[in-house]
Amino acid sequence: MYELQKVDKKFPGVHALKAVDFKVGRGEIVGLVGENGAGKSTLMKVIYGAYQPDGGTISIDGKTMRFQNPRQAMEHGIGMVFQEQSLIANLTVMENIFLGFEKQFVRFGVINWKAMAAAARHQLAKVKLDIEPSTITAKLSFAQRQLVELAKVLTLEERIDGDLVILLDEPTSVLAREEVQLLFKLVRDLTTRASFVFVSHRMEEVLELCDRVYVMKDGAVVDVVAQNQADIDAIQHKMVGREVDKRYYREHKQKPYDADKVLVSMQQASIERKYHDISFDLHPGEVLCLVGTEGSGREAILRTIVGLERPSAGRLAIKGQRLSRFSARQAVAKGVGYTPRERKIEGIVGGMTVFENMTLSQLHNYARFGVLRVGDEKRLAREWIERLAIKTPSEMKDCGGLSGGNQQKVVLAKWRSGGSDIMLLDHPTRGLDIGAKEDVYEMIRDMSDAGVGIVLVADTLEESIGLAHTIIVLKDGVAQKRFDCTPDSKPSLYDLVHHMI
Amino acid sequence: MNFERLNAHFPWITLVVLFLLVGLANPAFFNPVGLLALAGDVVPLFIMALGMTFAIYIGGIDLSVQQVANLVTVVATVFLVKLGIGVALVCILAGALVGALSGLVTTKFYVPSFVSTLAMGFVVLSGAKWLSNQRALHMNAEAREASFGWMFDTTLGLPNELIIAVLLLALCWFLQTRTTFGRALKAVGAGELAAVASGINVDRIKIMAFALCGALAAISGLMFSVKLSGGDANLANGFLLLAIVAVLVGGTPLTGGVGGVLNTAVGTLIVMVIRAAMVFLEVDATHQQMIFGIVLIVAIALTIDRSKLKIVK
Amino acid sequence: MKALLSRDSLLKWAPVLVLLVLMLTFPIFEMLNDLARGKEHLYLLDSRFLSVRNFARIAIAAAPALMVALGVTFIIIMGSIDLSMEGTVSVSAVSFAYAFIALGGTLASWAWLAMPLALVVGAAIGMLNGLVHVKLKIPSFMASLAMGFVGTGFALLLTGGERVRVDDPIFRSLLTVRWFNFPIMIYVAGAFLLLMWFVQTRTTLGRNFYAVGGGEELAAASGLNVSRVRILGFTLAGVCYAMGGLLAVGKIGIAETVTGANFMFVSITAVVVGGTALWGGIGGVFNTLIGVLIVFVINNGMVVIGLPSYIQSAVLGALVILAVVLSTDRKAISFVK
Repeated sequence: MYELQKVDKKFPGVHALKAVDFKVGRGEIVGLVGENGAGKSTLMKVIYGAYQPDGGTISIDGKTMRFQNPRQAMEHGIGMVFQEQSLIANLTVMENIFLGFEKQFVRFGVINWKAMAAAARHQLAKVKLDIEPSTITAKLSFAQRQLVELAKVLTLEERIDGDLVILLDEPTSVLAREEVQLLFKLVRDLTTRASFVFVSHRMEEVLELCDRVYVMKDGAVVDVVAQNQADIDAIQHKMVGREVDKRYYREHKQKPYDADKVLVSMQQASIERKYHDISFDLHPGEVLCLVGTEGSGREAILRTIVGLERPSAGRLAIKGQRLSRFSARQAVAKGVGYTPRERKIEGIVGGMTVFENMTLSQLHNYARFGVLRVGDEKRLAREWIERLAIKTPSEMKDCGGLSGGNQQKVVLAKWRSGGSDIMLLDHPTRGLDIGAKEDVYEMIRDMSDAGVGIVLVADTLEESIGLAHTIIVLKDGVAQKRFDCTPDSKPSLYDLVHHMI
Repeated sequence: MNFERLNAHFPWITLVVLFLLVGLANPAFFNPVGLLALAGDVVPLFIMALGMTFAIYIGGIDLSVQQVANLVTVVATVFLVKLGIGVALVCILAGALVGALSGLVTTKFYVPSFVSTLAMGFVVLSGAKWLSNQRALHMNAEAREASFGWMFDTTLGLPNELIIAVLLLALCWFLQTRTTFGRALKAVGAGELAAVASGINVDRIKIMAFALCGALAAISGLMFSVKLSGGDANLANGFLLLAIVAVLVGGTPLTGGVGGVLNTAVGTLIVMVIRAAMVFLEVDATHQQMIFGIVLIVAIALTIDRSKLKIVK
Repeated sequence: MKALLSRDSLLKWAPVLVLLVLMLTFPIFEMLNDLARGKEHLYLLDSRFLSVRNFARIAIAAAPALMVALGVTFIIIMGSIDLSMEGTVSVSAVSFAYAFIALGGTLASWAWLAMPLALVVGAAIGMLNGLVHVKLKIPSFMASLAMGFVGTGFALLLTGGERVRVDDPIFRSLLTVRWFNFPIMIYVAGAFLLLMWFVQTRTTLGRNFYAVGGGEELAAASGLNVSRVRILGFTLAGVCYAMGGLLAVGKIGIAETVTGANFMFVSITAVVVGGTALWGGIGGVFNTLIGVLIVFVINNGMVVIGLPSYIQSAVLGALVILAVVLSTDRKAISFVK
C-alpha cells in the first residue's frame, strides 16, 4: 500500500538515507530499529513529509506522490504521533484534536462547541479514552495525552478517503508498563482502521508489537525480519556489524588511569524523568563514556556535574568536596570544563573574538582590579591557536565565523588553558569532518595523559569504545552495565547495543 | 559578508551624510559656535543614552530612565541648598539603587526587564511626586551658581558640560572594552547561555548593568535640572524615546551584544542633526515625537539580529 | 501534577480574593480613621466607600480603562505585549471629536458616524502596529512602544496641543443620564465586555489567541496562520482602545492629546493583576474585569481613607511586579532579558 523505493537523502557531509526500500501493508504494524544516527528519524521525516527525498519514489497504492510539507502528507492519510509536547497544554482536549481544522464547526466565525465536543467524543472513543472533551489538556496524565495525540491523528479517517498510515515515534518512553500494554492492545485493535509504523529503542516492545521489523544501519536498511523469525540477538548484531579501527581512535595511546585519586564522585544521584540512581567515580586520566540512546539520561548527567541541572536525590562531590549548591560558576571554579553539544549556543559566544572566547571562563586570571590585560589574553590565544592548530587568520577574528572543528578547539582551549582538569565532553565531534574528528581524539588522549578526568558522551558507539577506559551503558535513565576497557579488551559494539536497546 | 561588514559602518556614514546634507542646505549649520551650542543641548540626552546602552547591550531595556531623571531633578532641587555639590552623589546613588532594584527583580524573579523597569519607573514617579508635592520647583539661584556654575564655563574654548560628556564616554568606553565587567557584558549580550556555561555570574553582571544605567540616568537628570534651574516630576518627559532612538540608531541592536557606547555617541549626534534639520525645515515641534517614533521603528528593523529570536513575540 | 493543579486554582481565584479583601479592608480603615478623628461612624456599613454613589464613581473611572485593558488582554494571551494604547486612544478620541463636530456636532445628526469612524481609526492603527511587529519581525514590546510614540505624536499633530470640546447633550448623556444609579456608559462598557467575552469563547479568532499563546510553534505546525492571528489580534486591540477613547471623551467631554495618558500602565497592570499571565495562554476578559476593579478600588479606596494620590503609581508598580512574579513558573524558563 504505502511504499518507498530507493529513497535517498543527503545532507552536507552526511549520506543520511541510502536507497531505502520500505513498505507498509494495509493493517500492518511495521517496526523500525537502529542505533543513534542510523537514519530512523530521517526516514520518519521523509514519510510524514517534513523532508523531501533527493532520489527515489514515494507511492501510495502504486501512485507516485511528492509531499512538500507535513500537511500535504496528512491529506494523503499519513499522520505522525509525536513523542511528546505536540499538544498545546492550555487548550481543551477537543480544541487540540481539531486544531487547524476547526472550520467544520464554525459558522460566521462562531464556534459550535456542542458539535465540536460530540465530534471529539467520537474520536476519543476510537482510542477508548473516557474523558470530557472540554478538559484542559494540562490536566491529563502523560499516557492520556499520548492517546489524545493518537485521537488527533485518527481524525484523518473522517477527513480523507483511502488508507491511513500512522507513525508512532517512541510512544512508550513516557509510559508505565501497564500503560504500554494498553497502548499496544489499542494499536492492534486499530489495525482495522490504519497501518502503523512503530519506532522505539526498546527492542522487546518492537518485537512484541510489530508484524515486520526494519533494521537500519548507517542510513541503509540492512534487514527486514518477520515477527515469527525475529531474534533479538541477531537483530542487534545486524544493527552494528562492523569492526572498530583501533588506530583511528588512538587506542595505542591509551594509558591506565590513576585509580587512587577521585575527581568526581556521583553517588545514587537522580533527576526525576531524566536519570535514576547513578553512581560512579571519575579518576585523573580516565576517559569515562556514557553510552545510551537519545534521552537515556547521558546529557543530564553531564549537566548535573557542571551545575546546570540539580539532582533531586543523591550526592555529588568534586575533588572530595560535596556540592550543595549547583551553579556553573561553582563547578568552573573547581576545575570543571564543559563542551556542550549545542556548540554555538553554549560553547562559544558568536560575535566575540577567538581570544575573548578563550579567556571567558578565566577572566580573573587576566585582570587586575577588574582591568583586563588584553595583551596577555592575545598572547595566550596565539599560543593555543598554534598548539591546537586552530585555523583562524588571527586571534582577533569573530569566533562565530570559524568552522565547527575550529570552534570546538577554541572551546577546548578555553578550558585547558584555564587549567580545568575535569572535562565534560558532550558530542565533541558532532558535525566535524574526519580530520577535525581525529584532532579531537588526539586532544582527548593528550588531556588524559596530562591527568585530566574526562566524561564523554560520544557521537557514535565506535567512538565510545575506541576512547574509553570505562563505559557505563544507560537505558531509560538507569545504568545497565559497566565495562572496564583496556586497549586489548574492549567490549564489542554488540555488547553495548545489547544493553542499550 | 560584505553587507555585514558595511552594516557596522552604517551609523557613522549616516551621520556624515546627514551632517553634510543639512549643512549644504543651510550653510549656517556649519558655524562652530552654533554646533557647540547644539552639542551642549544634547548632553543630558547623551548621558541618558549612554546608560541605556548598557541595558540594551545585554539584550534588555530600561524604561525607567526617564522617571529616574525626573526624580533626580526634584532631589537635586530640594537638597541643593543643604548638600551643595554633594547632592550629585545622592542623586547618582539613588539612580544606581533604582537600576539595581530593577536588575534584581529581572534576574531573581524572572520578570522581563521591560516590565520590571516600567513598573519601577512608576514607583520612582511616586517618589518624585511626593518629594515635589506635585509642583514645579525652582532651584536656589545662589546655591546653583556656587555648586554647579562651573558647568557653564568653558575650558580651552570647550563648554565644560561637553567635557563632562566626553569624560563619561571615555569612562564607559574603558569599562566596556578594557574591564572584565565589559567583557562579561558582551558575553551576556551575545550569548547568555555560553556565558553561564563558562562560569560567569550572569545575574550580577545584569544587575550591575542596570545599576550603571540608573546612575547615568541620574547624572543626566542632574545636568538637566541644573540647566533648567528647577525640578519637576515631569521635567524629563520625552527623554525616553530619544534615548532609545540614540542607542538604536547608533547601531546597538535591541538583541544586544554588538555596538556599544561609541555607537551611542554617533547615534546621539544623528539625533542632534535630525533635530537641527527639523528646525531648519521649520517642522513643527509637535511633529518631533512622531518623526522620532518612525525613525525608531526603522532603526530597530535595520539593526535587530533576527537569528537570535526564534519566535518573535 | 498536584502542584500544578493547586497552582492553577490559586492563579484562578487569587484575583477575586484580593478584590474581596480590598473591599473589606478599606471600610475598616475608613472606620478606624473616622473614629481616630472623632467622627461618628457606628457601623462598618456606614462606609462612604461601600456606598452606591462610590461604586458608581469607581465604575465611571474604570470604564474607559476596562475597554483598553480588554484589548491588551488578547495581546497578552498571545504572549505578546502592546504598549501603544496611549497613542491609539488619543488619536481615535481626537479623530472622533473632529469628525463629530464636522458632521454636525450632535448625535441626532449624521455625526453619529463619528463613532464607527473612531473604531475604524483604532482598528487601522492596531493593524499597522501588528504589521510592523509581524512583518518587520520586531518584538511586540518595542514595535508597540514605538507605535505608541508615533500615535501620541500624530494626535499632537492633529490637535496642535488644542483641546477639542464635545458638548452635545445627547452624547454627554453617556455620563449624565443614570439608570439605577449608574450612568449609561457603564452599561455600554458592560455590553462591550460581553461582546469581547463572546469573541474570546465562541469565535475561532478568540480561541486561536490561546493556541498561539500556549504553543506558537505547535499551533503553526497544526496549520494555524499565526501571523494572521497576531495581526488580527492587534487590530481587535485597536478597536478596544478606540472604544476606550470614546468612553474617555464621554466621561469628560474633551478630546486632546493627553486623553490617552496613563492608560498604558493602568491597563497592563489590570490585566496581569487579574491573572492573565504575561507568558501567554492563560486568563481572559473576566480576569481583566477583576483586575481593572482591583486597580480602581485601590485608587478610590486610598483617596477615601485619605492617602495622598501620588502613592497610587507606586502601588501599581509594586502590584504589577508582584503579579508577574506570582504568575511565573520559574522552572519553565531558562532566562529572561
